[in-house]
Amino acid sequence: MADEALFLLLHNEMVAGLYRAAEQGEGENGRCITKLENMGFRVGQGLIERFTKDTARFKDELDIMKFICKDFWTTVFKKQIDNLRTNHQGIYVLQDNKFRLLMQMSAGKQYLEHAPKYLAFTCGLIRGGLSNLGIKSIVTAEVSTMPACKFQVMIQKM
Amino acid sequence: MDPAAAAAAEEEGGEKPPVIYTMENKPIVTCAGDQNLFTSLYPTLSQQLPREPMEWRRSYGRAPKMIHLESNFVQFKEELLPKEGNKALLTFPFLHIYWTECCDTEVYKATVKDDITKWQNVLKAHSSVDWLIVVVESDAKKKNKTNILPRTSIVDKIRNDFCNKQSDRCVVLSDPLKDSSRSQESWNAFLTKLRTLLLMSFTKNLGKFEDDMRTLREKRTEPGWSFCEYFMVQEELAFVFEMLQQFEDALVQYDELDALFSQYVVNFGAGDGANWLTFFCQPVRSWNGLILRKPIDMEKRELIQNQEATLLDLRSYLFSRQCTLLIFLQRPWEVSQRALELLHNCVQELKLLEVSVPPGALDCWVFLSCLEVLQRIEGCCDRAQIDANVSHTVGLWSYATEKLKSLGYLCGLASEKGPNSEDLNRTVDLLAGLGAERPETANTSQSPYKKLKEALSSVEAFEKHYLDLSHATIEMYTNIGRIRSAKLVGKDLAEFYMRKKGPQKAEVYLQGALKTYLAEGWALLVTHTRKQLAECQKQLGQIENYLQMSSLLASDNHLTEDERKRFCQEILDFANQQAESQGQKVILSMHSFAQLKTLHFDPPNAVVHVGGKLSVELTLLSQMPIPVQVDQIAIYVHFNIEKNSYRKTAEWLTKHKTSNGVINFPNEVAGFPLSRNNLPALELYEMYERSPSDNSLNTTGIICKNVHMLLRRQESSTSLDIPSGVTLEDGAHMLKCNDLILEPGINKISFKTQAKEPGTYTLRQLCTSVGKVQFVLLHIYPIVQYDVYSQEPQLKVEPMTDSLLAGIPQKVKFTVITGHYNMKSGDALQLSNADAMPALYNPEIKAVIYSNTREKISESSLRIQSSEKITSISLPVTPAYHVIEFELEVIYLPSTPESAVERENTVNKEAHRKNKEKQKPDNRMATVDQKVTIDCPWSIYSTIIALTFCIPFNAKHSLLSAGKRKYVQVCVQNLSELCFQLSDNSLKNSASCADLQLVPLNPESQQVIYSKQSIFFVWELKWTKELPLSLQCLFSVSFCPATSEEQSLSLKPFTYEFQVENFFTLYNVKTEIFPPLGAEYCKTGSLCSLEVSITRLADLLEVDKDEALTESDGYCTTKLMYEVVDNSSNWAVCGKSSGVISMPVAARATHKVHMEVMPLFAGYLPFPDVRLFKYLPHHSAHSMQLDADSWIENDNLSVDKNVDDQADSSSIRSRSSLHSAASGEHKGLPMPRLQSFSSGQVFNCSTGMQILVVPSKDDHVLEVNIT
Amino acid sequence: MAVCIAVIAKENYPLYIRSIPTENELKFHYTVHTSLDVVDEKISAMGKALVDQRELYLGLLYPTEDYKVYGYVTNSKVKFVMVVDSSNTALRDNEIRSMFRKLHNSYTDIMCNPFYNPGDRIHSRAFDNMVTSMMMQVC
Repeated sequence: MADEALFLLLHNEMVAGLYRAAEQGEGENGRCITKLENMGFRVGQGLIERFTKDTARFKDELDIMKFICKDFWTTVFKKQIDNLRTNHQGIYVLQDNKFRLLMQMSAGKQYLEHAPKYLAFTCGLIRGGLSNLGIKSIVTAEVSTMPACKFQVMIQKM
Repeated sequence: MDPAAAAAAEEEGGEKPPVIYTMENKPIVTCAGDQNLFTSLYPTLSQQLPREPMEWRRSYGRAPKMIHLESNFVQFKEELLPKEGNKALLTFPFLHIYWTECCDTEVYKATVKDDITKWQNVLKAHSSVDWLIVVVESDAKKKNKTNILPRTSIVDKIRNDFCNKQSDRCVVLSDPLKDSSRSQESWNAFLTKLRTLLLMSFTKNLGKFEDDMRTLREKRTEPGWSFCEYFMVQEELAFVFEMLQQFEDALVQYDELDALFSQYVVNFGAGDGANWLTFFCQPVRSWNGLILRKPIDMEKRELIQNQEATLLDLRSYLFSRQCTLLIFLQRPWEVSQRALELLHNCVQELKLLEVSVPPGALDCWVFLSCLEVLQRIEGCCDRAQIDANVSHTVGLWSYATEKLKSLGYLCGLASEKGPNSEDLNRTVDLLAGLGAERPETANTSQSPYKKLKEALSSVEAFEKHYLDLSHATIEMYTNIGRIRSAKLVGKDLAEFYMRKKGPQKAEVYLQGALKTYLAEGWALLVTHTRKQLAECQKQLGQIENYLQMSSLLASDNHLTEDERKRFCQEILDFANQQAESQGQKVILSMHSFAQLKTLHFDPPNAVVHVGGKLSVELTLLSQMPIPVQVDQIAIYVHFNIEKNSYRKTAEWLTKHKTSNGVINFPNEVAGFPLSRNNLPALELYEMYERSPSDNSLNTTGIICKNVHMLLRRQESSTSLDIPSGVTLEDGAHMLKCNDLILEPGINKISFKTQAKEPGTYTLRQLCTSVGKVQFVLLHIYPIVQYDVYSQEPQLKVEPMTDSLLAGIPQKVKFTVITGHYNMKSGDALQLSNADAMPALYNPEIKAVIYSNTREKISESSLRIQSSEKITSISLPVTPAYHVIEFELEVIYLPSTPESAVERENTVNKEAHRKNKEKQKPDNRMATVDQKVTIDCPWSIYSTIIALTFCIPFNAKHSLLSAGKRKYVQVCVQNLSELCFQLSDNSLKNSASCADLQLVPLNPESQQVIYSKQSIFFVWELKWTKELPLSLQCLFSVSFCPATSEEQSLSLKPFTYEFQVENFFTLYNVKTEIFPPLGAEYCKTGSLCSLEVSITRLADLLEVDKDEALTESDGYCTTKLMYEVVDNSSNWAVCGKSSGVISMPVAARATHKVHMEVMPLFAGYLPFPDVRLFKYLPHHSAHSMQLDADSWIENDNLSVDKNVDDQADSSSIRSRSSLHSAASGEHKGLPMPRLQSFSSGQVFNCSTGMQILVVPSKDDHVLEVNIT
Repeated sequence: MAVCIAVIAKENYPLYIRSIPTENELKFHYTVHTSLDVVDEKISAMGKALVDQRELYLGLLYPTEDYKVYGYVTNSKVKFVMVVDSSNTALRDNEIRSMFRKLHNSYTDIMCNPFYNPGDRIHSRAFDNMVTSMMMQVC
């Protein structure tokens, strides 16, 4: 679908552009990551507002996480999260075995060093979405063989 | 008296005793026929009937119900039957039963039949079809009967006579009084039948009734229609349902009525009023609230019946019925909820219908009603239930509280000085409207009625009741977590206290509320509450708090300009009170008074030297609505000396602390709860995890470094409320600024100070004094500091270029950092000249003076006096903490003997090293350190500065010969980056040897030598007489940078000294190759003859004096060894390739050697080399015995080894020794030594000659054995 | 028809609040603020509720003598509160509900507005107009 392609390309450009800019300036580790994450955060906030407009109110945290894994993920990445795990103490691990943003890059360990910058935005997306649903969280990511990747959500108990 | 009878009486006309509606109402069943029989059966019947439930299928698709039937059996009277049009349902007989136990036909014919007929006719007359005939049989009777008909016959007869086609209308009940299974069965059958018939009757009659009711309702648009009448009709239905325990249905009836009425009111509001409605609009005269204690409030019902009810009456009655039913239905919480709606609704309806209500009347009504409802509910629930359902009742509580409050205000009970006369009158009227207390509550002490009466009776009583209510409400709200509501009630309470001039009680509530509003950021509420609190604090005389509050309000833009001004004035008034009252100052937090926006340093890097001037400019945003006269603004500064901290050295500070001098302060967002923006930002980083084995990437990802920070629970920050106990630090250091006016909005205030002690100064607090009031900013954040430093004077001398070159004038930069020293006129730098390095005086040298922060201050020309010993540079007058910079041209002259020698050695060593390793050209320049001692005005010690110069050139020499003629070649290489111009080169023989002259073969003209380039110079040696063994030469060439125009200054030339030895040619070696006899050319593979002729060119010389020389009778010979080597292996030398010859030492003595060589290739082949050595016997004794060839064969190699080395050797001595060493270790046994000649002693005149070799005809490869 | 419309952030501070007539603005602020109690109550109660009952529209929060206060909460815990004049009996639940939907829609647009920084007070012409239309709308 066009919209999907648009998102993918736009995202790639965003990453590339940001890193290019960073090379001119001092390329300190983390700065770009943080920028991307913040972009994602804002986008997440907006998206969740739209997506949840017509859904019933959520029962609890888990209910919300499910929504993120199903509806939210499907709308953004055209597929569901493949596996959601939690310790019921506010830590959730979302695993996507075919993560859209890594699909085009590699299948395996090749280019692994480039993976992080393509995850930052999505981390922000999740954090933004959750925070707009009233859940403060920290989202980190991990890839060992592309295009599979894990997102870890640590929820801040209010 | 039972209702049926009552109804009957009614029918008879005359006096109307009211029907008593009790819950004992039961559907009426009449009994005709044998009364005794019935009475005997009645107990069993009445007790058996309700036992079993029966399903009631109902019309209008209502859900079927199981109901337990009871009924009220009464004796049949014709009057009981309702006439046409009588709508009464409660008195309606639903079933008529005829009882008989007649069992013989005679009797039946005689009496019973007629009796039944009569009964039936009456029923028919009233068209009631719900009847049943019961025939009771008992065996007892049959006994004494003689002529008995089959028992059935009677029943049959009756059936025949009466129940045509509905035989089931006649049932048999056998032996009812016996306790037998048979009798049991018949009972059951009978009861079932009875129930069925009853229900049928209900369905039929109720259905009919409802139809009538509906038609009546449809008529409601017609003029004559009256709501009250209709009300009575539908309520009748409700009653019946209630009677049948069908409370739901009953409730529905009332709700319908409710809705209908409400609709009318609304429509009335919308304009079309039903005329009957106007009648509810009569002014309200009594407001004795709801009465819910009786199931039915007869008085009100009558009012409605007689169409005298007011709106309140109607509503009250309606609700009381709903309430009753709801409570039957175990739904008390719905009661409370509906009650609240009702009360609100009534108030609205009265408004809508523009009913005139005396002030306060409604409040009374609502108040009473609330309490009534609450008490009613309490009456039917236990404590636990009530507590669990506070959320349902609390609304009523607060409503009651509210109403009581307004009553209190209305009747002047909430004022400081009780009610006045008209308040009292009002109170009296209100109480009058309550009427007398109802009997049913008369004996309950806490009845709403009593409460209200008491509350209105006196100020104290009112307060008590009001407080009770309020506290109760607040507590309930708090318990169910409705904090905000609780606070609101609290604020009402506070208002009340304020009116009663009890501020101390009010404060706590106001503070509580304020906290909530602040925490949740509701600006308007904050403002409002603050205003109240300010008033409260004023009354309490809490000056500090009051002033703080005032400042908050004065800065609050939710208030009108005037209000703000007023509060601001409050502060100023206090501030300007004459200090005759004790002079204690009031300290307030500044943030509401003014906000610190920016702070600007000059110098911008906030670094200043001791005694230097520093200015600080604050931008203050005054929040006050009017200009404020300020006595003093002070910045409290904290001083600390950071000794031996590198970061505080003048250099570091002046270099690194380069801010633009402006510090911006975040302005605290008023209104937003802080929780929103106090989260630290995530620190995300890319993560690369490599596998320990091969460190290939294992996992990558994103990690967060400050999780611990973020996951910490946020505790609700209360930083917004006024900091209590503001304290000032001791003003050891402070920056002051006196007597100025703070205009509303932006103000710029600048402080000037002179730096004293070196160290770091931190701006801690800001304090604005207005009269007795001080506004203090407790912490200036972000941290603002300025640094003061002191510095020793110092001198730096550094070359402008990266390396100084010897011999040419170059600029050297002098930097004088004055530090704390002031340059007076006459202060000068004294350079003690080394004449190898004179400072070149240049009139237009300018010294530039910078401030320590590198801003150019001024420029002044430099006076330099040079005596032969000392150059003194007089420095311009410069204040402390400045930098003087100027450039001086210096030149290093590499000419003074000692330095020259030193240099020459170095250069020669260079040369040697080069000779050793040719393959890698070495570009390193020789360097010389030159020391200068400088005396500075600020210290008695003189500074020694070393400058390093590089010699740009490197020279090599070599000796060339042609026969006897000799040439000297000098190669000059430019190692520097620059390119130079070389001129007037010369070579001199230092040893004064008259007849030797050096004839230059070089162009006289100047030559340019580019970087990394070499130039060669050649001279021919000419002489006439005897030559010295060695020759001392001095090469010199003058140079100047090719770029620089000014040739004015005379530069010392570059010189190079060297010597050549043993350069005179002793032997001439000539080689010839002849083709074989008869052949014209040499052919490959054919032997040719090689002739070497060695000719002595000179007579005995000094050189020859060595052990090789053997002298016999004045005729000396020396031993030479020749050797033919062909490295190009073009030739095969056949036979001995070398040999020793003894050479007579005399001019023109010649020695010829023949040998055979064979060309291996065709073409022009170069001749094989012929080498000549001195042959020094080791021991003249036994050296002879040795077969020369034998060892030479072996030694060949050892000699060959050195061939390359010998090619161009500059120092023969060293060479020979080296060689001997080599050969020495080569063989253990003593051997003769070979000594090669120094270059130029032997001239090989056929080097480079070639001979044509033609290929042989037969091209077969021939074997040649080579020795 | 509505006399006061408020949008309240998840942290319970007002993002937007407007009322007519303006003279008793303060009163409305108090009303709305207090109504948050009931909103919280309903939200927390919602945890147990069944899915079909988990509607965003919270219905009547509480009636007062002269006003009815209705509530609505988005999934992002942003609350909409609408105060309606009690005399205005013509308003049925469904109309209120649809008014809230309109509010929610235009709030969503604001959230997706690049110039809006979530959590800031709402200053949007579009939103203003929409609110005005709801207040003017005479029945």
